[in-house]
Amino acid sequence: MMSKLRRREAMWFYLFASPWIIGFVVFLLGPMIASIYISLTDWDSFTAPEWVGLENYKRLLTDDPVFWKALWNTFYYAAISVPLGLVIGLWLANLLNKQVRVRKVFRTLIYLPTLVPLVATAMIFKMVLAPSGPLNDVLGVVGIPGPSWLLEAMWVKPALILLSVWGAGAATVLLLAAMKGIPRELYEAAEVDGASPIRQFWSITVPQLTPIIFFNLIMGLIGAFQVFSQVYILTKPVGGPDNASQMMVPLLFNEAFSFYHMGYASAISWLLFAVILVFTLMAFRTARRWVFYETEVK
Amino acid sequence: MATVMSTVAPPEQKHEPGPERERERSKDRVIGVFRATPFTYATLIIVSAVLCVPLVFVVSIALASDQTVNANTFTIIPREFHWDNFTRVFGTDLPMHRFLMNSVIISLGAVVGQVLSSGLVGYAFARLRAPGKNALFIIVIATMMIPAQITMIPQFILFKELGWVNTFLPLIVPNFFSNAFNVFLVRQFVSRLPSEIDEAAMVDGLGFFGIYRRIMLPMLAPVLIAIGIFTLTATWGDFMGPLIYLNDESKMPLALGVQYITSTSQALQAPPWNLVMVGSILLTLPMILVYYLGQRYLYEMDISGGSAGVK
Repeated sequence: MMSKLRRREAMWFYLFASPWIIGFVVFLLGPMIASIYISLTDWDSFTAPEWVGLENYKRLLTDDPVFWKALWNTFYYAAISVPLGLVIGLWLANLLNKQVRVRKVFRTLIYLPTLVPLVATAMIFKMVLAPSGPLNDVLGVVGIPGPSWLLEAMWVKPALILLSVWGAGAATVLLLAAMKGIPRELYEAAEVDGASPIRQFWSITVPQLTPIIFFNLIMGLIGAFQVFSQVYILTKPVGGPDNASQMMVPLLFNEAFSFYHMGYASAISWLLFAVILVFTLMAFRTARRWVFYETEVK
Repeated sequence: MATVMSTVAPPEQKHEPGPERERERSKDRVIGVFRATPFTYATLIIVSAVLCVPLVFVVSIALASDQTVNANTFTIIPREFHWDNFTRVFGTDLPMHRFLMNSVIISLGAVVGQVLSSGLVGYAFARLRAPGKNALFIIVIATMMIPAQITMIPQFILFKELGWVNTFLPLIVPNFFSNAFNVFLVRQFVSRLPSEIDEAAMVDGLGFFGIYRRIMLPMLAPVLIAIGIFTLTATWGDFMGPLIYLNDESKMPLALGVQYITSTSQALQAPPWNLVMVGSILLTLPMILVYYLGQRYLYEMDISGGSAGVK
């Protein structure tokens, strides 16, 4: 039996936690259950839903070339943009970690693009990537005829990757902070042993940072699978030429809010969840490794 | 690695750097990997310049005349300086003042909601004892894995049934129910505070709400400010939410409004790119200001740059 005091404490807990509990039920649990049901129906949100069982999933996986294309494009985008951003971030962080004069100025300039909201970034790149925009001007000077980036099926994905790499400053600042935490003694020892700067980078800096790099890789991939605004704003009609830039969330958005295929769109959202879940589980599976690594070093 | 360390720097010396050791070190040659070469400077200058080109280009477009826009003859470095573009957007040309006002209302509503609710819930999870609490906390963590797209459609239906479509409510109200990430942040923060503080307050006869209101809330300031900054940045730049819920131009926040201007211009007529870029600058400047004023708190919280809990 709980004492009176403990019962009062429990009551206060549930009172204080009630915003989250109510929000969880109303905005998450309820909608999740509804989403499962909706995904098993054919529903335009105006007339009564019609039960179709697993038909939506079957059609998506076996009879919808656009879905497979969107899935492939999303993988392609995530698999290149995220590692590329981290590699550039690591490279720049290593440069900034040196005894550089006016380091703060360089750090600010590299970080500045990440403060620009995504919509503004998309507007900027719409102009930068225009067929006669500054990027192609520069390429022209070097003698390369630039493509019409966003208008060509072959170049629209690289264009979106370029946009994401513009934000490599986020990874730079993060990795730079982590580099500051590496014990100096490790480098002193390596210096005494005659290791070259490049060797010091690969044998000390990189191994010491792998946990944080790995964590950010997984988180970055999860974020990249949910890319939406850039695709929606930059490629018209949504999905780009020949659906070359159609991705999971823009496809879902189109099905739901342009065509009112609520059932079909809900099925897409669950398949997206499945993909993200695989990566989240990977992060949790390996979590012990990076946490252990951190504590061992410090 | 551990063995290398111990042979070179004995632990007792490592833990107390001391002034002599610092002086000794500064006399030393800079360690290889930290040595900046001309190549380092060249690379940093080139990279910074390349990353800043789009920003300079935006300013150049924002200051261009309408003729330049129609002829599509922009230059990267500004050549003309039509500062009146910045006042034009607030006149009859564009409803920019409405966009800005809507952004401010939605963002402030969301910030107030998250700060009020996350503090309470996080404190409860950190300090109060109740049956079922641990199970609930596991659910809090688990919900972080669920992508927003799963609940997007049912939530839309819910808000449509409530008659909230084309109002700010779907973008503000859910924030008053906190979210898993913020609850987690507050809980971790409170866990690090000594529990003697609330025990003493309890002895003094303060109730749980009194403890939260008078003792905890002032101490939670850093984490609540961080949550405020996160919420503000996310809401200010949010595009998809307003795109789903808001139809009237007069109700759009800046992030949606800027895009809306470019999408509604006639097929043969170029969008007013100079004014669009003024809008993009207005969208960006507050974020730079917030970062500049808030970075102190973000670094204090050790959660900047999305590395929550890693460092």
